[in-house]
Amino acid sequence: MILDLHAHSIKSDDGRAKVQNYCQWIRTRNIPIDGFVLTEHRQFDNESDYGELGREYGLTILKGSEVETEYGHVLVFGVTPALQAEFDFANIRLPLRQVIEACERHGAVPVPCHPGRPRVGMHAHLAEHGVPEGVRIVETLNGGSRDEEDSIAQAMASQYGYRGIGGSDAHIVSHIGRCATRFPHAIHNEQELVAALRAGEFEAVTFRT
Amino acid sequence: MTKSLDIDALRERFLMKDFDEQVFEFSAAELVDYASSCGELAPRYTDPAHPEFQAPPTFATCLRPGRRLPEGFPNLPGLGMDAGKAVAPKAPILPGVPLTARSHLHDIYAKTGRSGRMTFLVTRMEIYDPAGTLLANADTRIVIREKPEA
Amino acid sequence: MTIRHVSEVEFGVELPVFEPDTSLDNVRRFVRAAHWDGPRFTDHDAARKEGLPGALVPGIMSQGFLAAMIHRWAPDALIENVDTVFRAPVIVDEAYRIAGVVTDIDAAAGRVEIDLTVTNEKGETRVFGTATVRLPA
Repeated sequence: MILDLHAHSIKSDDGRAKVQNYCQWIRTRNIPIDGFVLTEHRQFDNESDYGELGREYGLTILKGSEVETEYGHVLVFGVTPALQAEFDFANIRLPLRQVIEACERHGAVPVPCHPGRPRVGMHAHLAEHGVPEGVRIVETLNGGSRDEEDSIAQAMASQYGYRGIGGSDAHIVSHIGRCATRFPHAIHNEQELVAALRAGEFEAVTFRT
Repeated sequence: MTKSLDIDALRERFLMKDFDEQVFEFSAAELVDYASSCGELAPRYTDPAHPEFQAPPTFATCLRPGRRLPEGFPNLPGLGMDAGKAVAPKAPILPGVPLTARSHLHDIYAKTGRSGRMTFLVTRMEIYDPAGTLLANADTRIVIREKPEA
Repeated sequence: MTIRHVSEVEFGVELPVFEPDTSLDNVRRFVRAAHWDGPRFTDHDAARKEGLPGALVPGIMSQGFLAAMIHRWAPDALIENVDTVFRAPVIVDEAYRIAGVVTDIDAAAGRVEIDLTVTNEKGETRVFGTATVRLPA
């Protein structure tokens, strides 16, 4: 199963895509993914239920978040009410340690995203803050990467032994599925996604042309 | 200062109140240059002799207010970034017609955390012709990432 | 294919790409017309002194490129809204690709939504956005 683990809808400030249009796009253009995770900026979307939409289009639509730390942006998979009580998702200077520890306590998985990107990526902050403890996975393929950002991410992952995921970082409909993550088994919900990430059986894939 | 900034109070005091008014006028040659340099081919934007000759639809975003923010608006400490521009044309902008552009803060909101905040300012410029017809709305979004507390 | 009616539009169709003229001369012509004349748009050296990678194509000119692309595809399209996010600078004298794809159609209302992108030669998105246009039934 292939999931795009990083996408934004109109729920994000800079998102311009409606979720239904993502689904239409994937099916109309035969984008080779089986679903996607909505990782809205600095929030978790508690309101939306995309179950019916997912069934209509035969896609797995899951929800996560993209929070901001002193090491840059971090995707969080497996968000629960208990995790939301642990830290303020809207805080733009969350301590990464706090995010990681809270995720461990509540069965979630933190993944620094676009880590090779200046300012908002983890690599740019290593010199100042050191190598953080507890990071196991980073996003090594990001559909919005420019210049050498993915190469930096992959080199960093190789150096520190991180596993790599892929995500499109789509903000508009036509960018969904540019990068994604391949899993060996089907994933139907956030708990299964967390389990698959923790099992470490996945690989980042790109469909950029 | 950052902590004392009250978004609700800012909204109450500044939202939807015009803080700037400018009058602009553009010649037909300027409208043609604007459109042609952008690659427009449609004659209604490139040919002044066309019966529907007018400015191209995104033209309103080039009009700039005399000041970015209302008088008395607090100086938000932090890095201001242009987060985007939106334009909604409503009626043709014609050459030689004075354009009155009034600006107001259309939205102010913050994403607040325990140790930092991003403040979003949406300035809307409304462009009118002399008859008071609304010709376009042009929104500019600025995001200010507040600096950490010292 | 030139589009005249909303019924001719299909979901997912790509608008014809065009490569805009980002030469210094053309940008000078634009900023003078827009009353935006300034060295950061018209002088590479002056822009570099400001810490920029080179003279900038103004964001509003990128918006103009995007609107022009829509009219090249559908000359009678009435643009109701263009909403753009400027992600990275567009630099004078560099090559870019102005692209759009149809991502939503409301045939009853005659409205079409289009994803818009300005990408550089490496395929990196510098500007993205959406437009809503109206077409005759």
